[in-house]
Amino acid sequence: MKVLKIVPERCTGCMRCELACSYEQTGAFQPSKSVIRVSAFEGHTSYSPYTCPQCDEGWCLTACPVEAISINAAGAKDVMDEACVGCKLCTIACPYGTIFYDPARHKAFKCDLCGGAPACVDVCPRAAILYEEAEVSDWVGPFAAERTHGPGGALTAEVK
Amino acid sequence: MAKRHVIVGGGTAGWNAITTIREIDGGDSEIILVSAENPYSRMVLPYYLSQEIGEAHVFTASETRLGALGVETRFGRRAVRLNPNDNKLILDDDEELAYDDLLIATGSSAVRAPVPGADGANVHSFWTLDQAKEVTASLKPGVRVAMIGAGFISFTILNALIKRGADLTVIEIAPRILPRMVDDAGAEIVQGWLEERGVKILAGAEITSIEDAPGGGKTLKLKAGANIEADLVIMATGIKTNLEWLEGSGVEVNSGVVVNDHLRSSDSNIYAAGDVAEGPDLLGDGKAVHAIEPTAMQHGRVAGANMAGLDTAYEGSLLMNIVDVLDLEIASFGNWNDEDAEVIQIVKKDRPAYRKLLFNGGRLVGAILLGRSRDIWMTNDVGMLKGLVQSGCDLSEWKEHLRGNPFDIKRAYLAVGASGSLIPETLLGRPSVPERDIAVQS
Amino acid sequence: MSDSYAYAGQILRVDLSAGKTWADPFTPEDQRKYIGGAGLGAKILWEEVPPEVAWDDPGNRLIMATGPLAGLPIWGTGGLTVVTRGALTGGATNTNANGFFGANIKLCGYDALVLQGRSEGWVYVHIQDDRVELKDATHLLGKDTWETQQALESELGLSGHQLSVYSIGPAGENLVRFAAIQGDYGHVASKNGCGAVMGSKRVKAVVIERGGKGISVAHMKALYAAADEIAHNLQNDPSTKGLYLYGTLGGVRNLHGMGALPIRNYTTNVWPDGLETKKWEGPSLREGFDHRGHQCNACGMYHCHMQVISSGPHKGAIVDEPEYEGWSGAGWATGATEPSEVSWMNTQLDRACVDVNEWGWLCGWVMECQEKGYISESDLGFRLEWGDIEGANRLLQMISRREGMGDLLAEGVKRASEKVGGEAADCAIYTMKGDSPRGHDHRARWEEMLDTCTGGGGTMDTAPAVQPTEFGLPARIGAQDPDLVPLAVGTMRGRRHFEDSLGACVFTTRVRMEVLCRSIEAATGWDIRREEAMTAGRRTATLFRAFNLRCGIGPELERPSKRYGSTPVDGPLKGVSIMDQWEKMLDIWYETVGYDRATGRPTAETLAALDLEELIEPLWGKEAAARV
Repeated sequence: MKVLKIVPERCTGCMRCELACSYEQTGAFQPSKSVIRVSAFEGHTSYSPYTCPQCDEGWCLTACPVEAISINAAGAKDVMDEACVGCKLCTIACPYGTIFYDPARHKAFKCDLCGGAPACVDVCPRAAILYEEAEVSDWVGPFAAERTHGPGGALTAEVK
Repeated sequence: MAKRHVIVGGGTAGWNAITTIREIDGGDSEIILVSAENPYSRMVLPYYLSQEIGEAHVFTASETRLGALGVETRFGRRAVRLNPNDNKLILDDDEELAYDDLLIATGSSAVRAPVPGADGANVHSFWTLDQAKEVTASLKPGVRVAMIGAGFISFTILNALIKRGADLTVIEIAPRILPRMVDDAGAEIVQGWLEERGVKILAGAEITSIEDAPGGGKTLKLKAGANIEADLVIMATGIKTNLEWLEGSGVEVNSGVVVNDHLRSSDSNIYAAGDVAEGPDLLGDGKAVHAIEPTAMQHGRVAGANMAGLDTAYEGSLLMNIVDVLDLEIASFGNWNDEDAEVIQIVKKDRPAYRKLLFNGGRLVGAILLGRSRDIWMTNDVGMLKGLVQSGCDLSEWKEHLRGNPFDIKRAYLAVGASGSLIPETLLGRPSVPERDIAVQS
Repeated sequence: MSDSYAYAGQILRVDLSAGKTWADPFTPEDQRKYIGGAGLGAKILWEEVPPEVAWDDPGNRLIMATGPLAGLPIWGTGGLTVVTRGALTGGATNTNANGFFGANIKLCGYDALVLQGRSEGWVYVHIQDDRVELKDATHLLGKDTWETQQALESELGLSGHQLSVYSIGPAGENLVRFAAIQGDYGHVASKNGCGAVMGSKRVKAVVIERGGKGISVAHMKALYAAADEIAHNLQNDPSTKGLYLYGTLGGVRNLHGMGALPIRNYTTNVWPDGLETKKWEGPSLREGFDHRGHQCNACGMYHCHMQVISSGPHKGAIVDEPEYEGWSGAGWATGATEPSEVSWMNTQLDRACVDVNEWGWLCGWVMECQEKGYISESDLGFRLEWGDIEGANRLLQMISRREGMGDLLAEGVKRASEKVGGEAADCAIYTMKGDSPRGHDHRARWEEMLDTCTGGGGTMDTAPAVQPTEFGLPARIGAQDPDLVPLAVGTMRGRRHFEDSLGACVFTTRVRMEVLCRSIEAATGWDIRREEAMTAGRRTATLFRAFNLRCGIGPELERPSKRYGSTPVDGPLKGVSIMDQWEKMLDIWYETVGYDRATGRPTAETLAALDLEELIEPLWGKEAAARV
């Protein structure tokens, strides 16, 4: 299956992926509704996006009491709005923190790989997000570990 | 001859067991489902009450779907006796069902506070679909609702009651609201939030009787303080596991049916799952009844897998609850009330936000999160905190940082590699299949 | 969400004296006329700050505005424009920063924030969608800008771009006249003491949570097409390719060859002996550090990096990669020639938070005065030699806390040199209005000296011509051509004001105006073309000029200080004097922009053409107004 392969070393924290993603979600540039979300590390010197790994278990999918989450043509777990009641069970079941609840619509929402043409990949000016055949993986962990121990990392003293 | 599985109870646990068996055997066994009610999802009843969804949305496994899965049904029937020696289940119409293996998934029932008048007119529980229908029918704008109990069940329907225009008073016998979901500090914020929005709350209030008032209303008498007048009383005062029918069966019962990590009871071909089961606890050596939807789902799936012949061990259930009241989201995980744990907490009253992290050494063993639904902390962190508790990743070196900023969970989560350690983990050791995609050979 | 595309449609107002906040509409009519950013700021400044309201009067307005492109997926669109009555010139200020201010405030539902009044105690303004609070900032006092942002990240529990913090450092708290406002680790609105204005209002920081609202656009596909076209042009146009790859790092080496690198307070234009010149090429400046991208909203430029210093006494320190202006102000102007030291010093300036250009001229002046004995060691309290970075930082800390002679120097180089007087007064670099020139040696860039002296916003108004052929100008204009330079500066006048109204970065708007207009059309739905855009920009420039005239800043002050306008003594332009051509250049410039040469006022015809008839009476009197 093609997955979103994240290359955090390339990310500059421009947040363009969040803008593009949120447009797909809402028809406006509204990053609070983006399902790919960028974190900063090491005193704003390092950034990485993070999104649903499309895990094998599908914790969200199995947790849903009304079968509102299915697997779409791209292989992504996808929330069907008409079925979702907004009970938020998926948001506590997902151990990745990548399915969200929208209080305005009373619906859960998550990465659906844009049905096979992910907008975040299209717009990243640094090719830090790729859409490739790959195993489901933790693309960000090792980078995050390294960039929280260095100077200015959350685990060292404040930026000097 | 095909193996015969008998499933007792059509709730979440039973339904998940059925679909899992079919995922694995593709229809190669006999399944009989005994269910007193047509299967529906309890989780969605609040949305039925708020009229956001219709009754059809509530049902999970219809006769047609079950038929397509090759499941025989005994709807409207109750199990009354179990005879493990003969591998027989006896139903309330005296039918005897022989089984090769059996799943006890009879769930739990609402209990009412033991006060005079608790079973009178216009006093309702909100647990089953029938009860939900009764409450739905009685609601109209301006109706005075007295909600007895301020626990999770009560809170799941607050939004619906308010949306339907109810004039709401919540009465809780414990000194604070949500006594089994959040601690004092959390309860204080929630109570403030609700009171600012017009909900009347009486905590530490003991009801001595519920009486008919002139004109068709109800009067709730309290041990201390003024009476409460209401048109409608809802009792959300707890639940009990449905175990009575197992009396004399010899199946080992403690708080629930005691099961091992394969969800097997003391009788190896009798399984139990969901609210009725007392199974492995993810965070401890002991066993626990976790009467929550996610546990019912997991129990059902693991039990189903083992019934279908796989050898699937269950790591244990994790207590977790989430509810939002008027866009304030409240969630708790694991041992959120463990008095021996090392605690990191922060209260931001003005936002409002509250977070409590509980550690056992470097391991996160529980958490309380509370904040507005729109806050990035809530939307991001609910799942990540669950992931940290579930994965047991070592957060030792992050504790000091989190003490200063307990909201900075995401970076800790990413840096300790929680995501990477969770990816190989699946409940059944293989990818999940959505129920609707299960192929059954006819 | 707002009724009009691309805009939030609201201006957030904060009265610090009354502790009151509210939102005013930013109407579709005003959006089209003033665009946003500098244009919107100029309108508010003109309408709300009468001449008797001095820069440090509570009645002054500190306008922090963004524009229609902010928060969109066009490169470099986190723009912040600060407009106020400034502390150095006492006139209008138009100064810009990037980062995420523009994106984040718009996502909270505002196109601009206007601070007025003065708080009783120190506060920070906390903006979170509709919720705007003034919160006690006592605990942040004395912290530098980076420490302030860190403290607030921890206090509010948000990290990364979830929180934008634009704050003042100790310099702003102590009303240093060239104090700046810094945000998002390395983005500085620095000119004309805007940080002192913020300090005078007792606002330590403006803190914006990444809002929950959305920005809708008229034509999404066309917007991406325009964004792609802009990106493609920036990557491939020979005039921008260097910027795309290295930001402004390439400047040092190139400018040295033209005599435009301001070495040691304009005392020389020649590299020092033994300098490893290769270190100062763009790629070397970047590769000499562990550098990491730190881009502004939606930007794909290789500009705005962070560095981890890899050697020397500050090894391991995280700094913001200097712009050319930093290499100049924190480096060459003060004789510093070791990149890692300059880089470190540049960030100290951002953190104490002063304007890097004024710093260069001030520190360079002190160094020269010590060398020449105009300022003694006992006056200053220590010996400060050319290129002494630790000494420079000591001076910076003295100034930002107004300690010892730092108190006088905190007034800026014009006032300090006038106070010290004598020969010392002749070696200071400034305009007679009090602006800080940018970090080139303008004796080799006549357009910039002319522009700085005639400008109305506290520094250059127009900047070197971008895509000049689009305006009928020759593709290349000699930097010392006394006829073409003023024609170009006059003709291009308004372009930068327009760019500064968009919420975008001047480095990503270096494309043809028609391309820029296409992006605005896609965002807003307007059928806007170059002429309308230039008119809007000229309107803004004219409002600033009118404001300055009303404050008593007239054409008599439109000239450089003695040193600033001096003749180079060495280097490629040795003996070439700009002042010989000054009056002629002013003549041409005035003619081109349509302002009256004698009074400096925009003519009634110019005002009418810019749809600014309401300015005719205040500038020219009732009679003239009646005639039009």
